Amino acid sequence: MSDDPLKPIENALDDEGLYFDRDDDEDAYRISFKSEGDRYFVVAYRDDPSFFMIGSGWALPSPVDAHEALAVANVLNVRKKFVKTALWEDERDVLFTVELCTDDAEDIRPNFGRLLDVLRDTADEFFSELRAAE
Amino acid sequence: MPLVRDTIAQFIQAEGHKVDIASIDEESGVSEILFRTRGQVFSVTTYENAPGTFTISTAYEIPDWAREATTNLETLAHAGDDYPDVAFAMAHDGGLFIASCDEEAGSPEAFTRQIWETVARVREAGSHAIERIVDRTESKAAAEKFINSFMRGER
Repeated sequence: MSDDPLKPIENALDDEGLYFDRDDDEDAYRISFKSEGDRYFVVAYRDDPSFFMIGSGWALPSPVDAHEALAVANVLNVRKKFVKTALWEDERDVLFTVELCTDDAEDIRPNFGRLLDVLRDTADEFFSELRAAE
Repeated sequence: MPLVRDTIAQFIQAEGHKVDIASIDEESGVSEILFRTRGQVFSVTTYENAPGTFTISTAYEIPDWAREATTNLETLAHAGDDYPDVAFAMAHDGGLFIASCDEEAGSPEAFTRQIWETVARVREAGSHAIERIVDRTESKAAAEKFINSFMRGER
């Protein structure tokens, strides 16, 4: 087995036909990639080797009311499998993440497409709900 | 002036996707760009002689147990009614069907602005069609099972 915990994620991205970049440092292993032009990341921390996070971050449109966005995020957190939707109110950003615990990211590889789909769907639903509320 | 094929291929790559490019008809400048997205292989056909025209296609495999169904062509026709801009064609002796959409975008740049919407529309139409094929075949199989049981019944 490779010492690189994200090697199976690289293989999953190959399976999906996607390019990726690595940006590891002393704290974490990191992959960034795009799919249909949208940016995603995968992170694994060196001091917590069984934790994996897949995510995407978006800027909130400026006229959006933060309380409205929080309410939508809360509904999605209740309803959606896997995905956590969080607002960083100061930065006016919204983060969609899937957080997983496994000793081997090879377990994630066969489900990686499904996890990407649910990340995309959650972001789509979040912004659709916000637009509908305008 | 860059080839239409290269402009579109570079765009898809910049959006994160690996591509394979094949020349379909070198003389008339028809090429096919293949890429994967959301687990499905799509192709974009480009025409150097018509730089504003594109075709996006994807294939759906019909499960073995549903291939003999005589209703599949009719089901595809009905699915086409629901998505009038998407064309369906059966291929490989009924083993798969192709969903495709012709786009008159006007220019390669205009096409890049709408490519993912078109991909989504073709995907939605194809998924809808395969669901209808599977549902219809399953319904028919279930009915046949019921009818056969009924015919074997005794009084």
